[in-house]
Amino acid sequence: MRMRKKMLGLIPVCTMMAAGFLCGCGGADSSSKTEIELVSYKPEAVEVFKELEEKFNSSHDDIHLTINSPNDAMTILKTRFIREDYPDILGIGGDINYSYFIDSGILADVSEFDGLSDINPGYVDILEKLEFVPTEGTYGVPYVANAAGILYNREMFQEHGWEIPTTWDELISLCDTIQSEGILPFYFGFKDTWTCLAPWNSLAVGLAPADVCQQVNAGSTKFSSEYRETAEKMLRMIQYGEEGPFAYGYNDACTAFANGESAMFPIGSYAVPQIKSVNPDMDIDSFVTPGNDSADGNTLNSGVDLMFAVTEECENKEAAYEVIRFLLEDENVQAYLDNQNAVPCKSGEFNLASNLDGMKEYIVSGNMTDFQDHYYPAEMAVDAQIQTFLIEQDVDAFLNKFDKDWTRYNRDIIRMVEEYNAQNK
Amino acid sequence: MKKMNNRERTFFFMTVPILILFFAFNTLPLIKGFMYSFTNFRGYGSYDWVGLRNYADLFTDARVGHSYWFTIKFAVATTIVVNVISLVLALGLNSKIKFKSALRGMYFVPNILGALVVGYIFNYFFTYIVPAVINMMGGEGRSILASTKWAWIGIVIVCAWQAIAMNTIIYISGLQTVPEDVYEAGAIDGATGWARFKHLTFPLIIPFFSINMVLSVKNFLMVFDQIVALTKGGPAQSTESISYLIYNNGMSGGQFGFQSANAVLFFVIIVVFSVTQLTITGKKEEQL
Amino acid sequence: MKEEIKVKEKYNWPVTILLIIGLITIAFPLYMTIVIAFKQPSEMTNSVSGILSLPARWSLANFKEAMKVTDFWRSLFNSVMITAVTVVLSVVLHSMIGYAVGRNKARNKWYNLVYMYVVSGMFVPFAILMMPLVKQTAQLGIANIVGVILCYVVFYMPMNLMLYSGYLVNIPVALEEAARIDGATTFRTFWKVIFPIMKPMHATVAVITALSVWNDVMTPLVIMSGSGMNTLPLAQMTFQTQFGTNYNLAFASYLLALLPILIFYIICQKQILNGVVNGAVK
Repeated sequence: MRMRKKMLGLIPVCTMMAAGFLCGCGGADSSSKTEIELVSYKPEAVEVFKELEEKFNSSHDDIHLTINSPNDAMTILKTRFIREDYPDILGIGGDINYSYFIDSGILADVSEFDGLSDINPGYVDILEKLEFVPTEGTYGVPYVANAAGILYNREMFQEHGWEIPTTWDELISLCDTIQSEGILPFYFGFKDTWTCLAPWNSLAVGLAPADVCQQVNAGSTKFSSEYRETAEKMLRMIQYGEEGPFAYGYNDACTAFANGESAMFPIGSYAVPQIKSVNPDMDIDSFVTPGNDSADGNTLNSGVDLMFAVTEECENKEAAYEVIRFLLEDENVQAYLDNQNAVPCKSGEFNLASNLDGMKEYIVSGNMTDFQDHYYPAEMAVDAQIQTFLIEQDVDAFLNKFDKDWTRYNRDIIRMVEEYNAQNK
Repeated sequence: MKKMNNRERTFFFMTVPILILFFAFNTLPLIKGFMYSFTNFRGYGSYDWVGLRNYADLFTDARVGHSYWFTIKFAVATTIVVNVISLVLALGLNSKIKFKSALRGMYFVPNILGALVVGYIFNYFFTYIVPAVINMMGGEGRSILASTKWAWIGIVIVCAWQAIAMNTIIYISGLQTVPEDVYEAGAIDGATGWARFKHLTFPLIIPFFSINMVLSVKNFLMVFDQIVALTKGGPAQSTESISYLIYNNGMSGGQFGFQSANAVLFFVIIVVFSVTQLTITGKKEEQL
Repeated sequence: MKEEIKVKEKYNWPVTILLIIGLITIAFPLYMTIVIAFKQPSEMTNSVSGILSLPARWSLANFKEAMKVTDFWRSLFNSVMITAVTVVLSVVLHSMIGYAVGRNKARNKWYNLVYMYVVSGMFVPFAILMMPLVKQTAQLGIANIVGVILCYVVFYMPMNLMLYSGYLVNIPVALEEAARIDGATTFRTFWKVIFPIMKPMHATVAVITALSVWNDVMTPLVIMSGSGMNTLPLAQMTFQTQFGTNYNLAFASYLLALLPILIFYIICQKQILNGVVNGAVK
């Protein structure tokens, strides 16, 4: 009897031991080398990063680099932070998570890093603006950017002799022309709420001040006045889209656009690989969404898609810099661009994907503005609010709710800004 | 505690170690989570204590309110649909039928298909196939998933489709506990069909009925995967379930503290609900 | 028993036919899954006839590619490992507590309380447990497969406790008393008499637990992240990113992942069928 009880108690222990044994311990032999771990949030770029990782390790004797590109990297990063298990370098995007990470003191100041001088200052500024309150120092090295606007079917445009619009009126008359020829101007795919943000962002960059969110946080303006034109123009745009856009998702829209069901697709350059998977021979180009009445007011909707940030816990900062320096070498940047259709943040001559032809002059001249949604807290679900607005078509209700929700969801940030402003009068 | 006899002691020692394990991996983290509900914790980094602010916010947040209404409406409807169908299915699969193994295997398949597959196929089904069929019959077909009024029905259908398999298994294993001789005795009394089910079969599988009810209510109140796969809370936030909000805003967003408060409230509500339900069915079991 | 089977059973044909008709609801989605798993991305369209058409070419290329991308055999091994250990532990531990609680909860307050306590644990949303569990497993040094298995044993305890104690209601105490009179201890009675009798319930618990574990993504994702181990569902996340999903590879991969658990179910359901209790009592 007593024996049995003992044995019973042993069952979980034995299983644990068995399980522990099976895990094995696969430690790498790198006693003398400095270990650097980079966690990238872009699983789609896993192949190019694997190549770069191998190239780095074969050319460096003192540092061993591991690049992980896990799926759902943000959840994994957050759980690792809880475990206080920090990677050395984070490959993340310039969005509100970056702001939170700075605010939590996870990221280290990298302003001493020499490679920063080669980066297009426009992108360094974009990162700077993402800080809730101005913080001394630079916390990320911008690597590549993405660009959003309107993708179009170049072959179809050439066939019909349609011109690229540069003002809002030209865009509307182009849509009328396309429609009169029996073709659908836009495909939206608004069932996935996040797709609603694509045209919203690319219209808002030209129509609202770039720092509208900071202005609201500081109490100097309201969204109901700054976003009105954007909201109204977006309502106008959906009249040229597929019927019942809320039934179709991003994937449907990509497939439809790839199969020539629509002439244009207001989305970012990131959609090109998915479109090309359906129609590999498609000739896609893009242009900046012309929200303004004059072409001068247009600006490219572009944000930092991937940056490298060194964590405060990283023990050997110089080794981390060496890794970033390596990744920023021209041929390595080019390798990444070729693989991901991305826009480089580094100044210099690079070959861009052909689907960015129409945006090239903006990129070269540095005329770009960050995505508005990089400032929106995820839990406010602005994408879903825009979807609601497009269904109900009530501009006032939408904007009033936007203002109300903003103060509710950003309460702590607004308080932080107020305290900062009071101190720095 | 009064002195235990041998049998009682054995029962005691069978229970306690397992309970300790349960406490360590369920109750302890719950208590920690409860503490976070008084903070503005984002899930990592530093945080401040905010007292009862999160709880006060819960009761004024229209989005949270709507998610409770949606979730409860959804859970009640799906529980009924699933239990009626799976009970009928279990009776069918348990009777003397040909191809028994093959049929049981096939009816089990929906439960194994991953959320990505189910999401894609049913999205396609509702977006293209159903409207096409309605159009063919001369109606005007539209995707119900795009309608703020009807999208929840789509989720009920998909959840039921997936969940029926599990409940059916439980009913089948319940039907196995009904001794043959009960039927034989019943047959002598002339009990067949509905009367046999109502007076003989059903009373004997009440424990399984109550398990299925509790499991269904629990699973459907916590619906998450199917929402992500089908609507992501849309259209117009009409299908945001409580778990969807807790997970999305607490984990992916920065509202961990607030959503912990939401989770605590949600937990209390279902516990009260289910304990009541269990007590009622427990009384019924005892009467038998 | 054997002789009974030899007797030609009369099949209930109307029910059989109804059940076969009902299969359409499953066969149709399954057909779509299989067809898509064989197609190429360029064959995907938004038209009904397009999606239902057969692939241009039946080739196993998608399956091969899916196996390569997910590192299939290794992920499969991990998934099988986690599932098997969890199922064995669940059947042993949960049937034990189920027996103790099920036999006593009707007349003993303490066991009724234990029952309510454990069953309530079922309603704790995982999202609230997640962060503390991540921290706790890391502190205990089990942020790996062990931690995941322990979490599962705890997560499915409430449901399995309900199942086991529910099953016991229909097993007469008389059966145990016979053993007790022969001088067996309570534990021995459980192990030799009750545990075998509960075989159909073991099969049910095994199927339900195995299935939930097999498909689960969240627990291994948060507990084992960084340990370099992948389960099948974790590896399958590769197919889906926000900006692009390769449905063809994903579907092929899901079909591959479906087979082992389906076989497991078919084996188990034979056990569910063998209702030992039938005729053995009363």
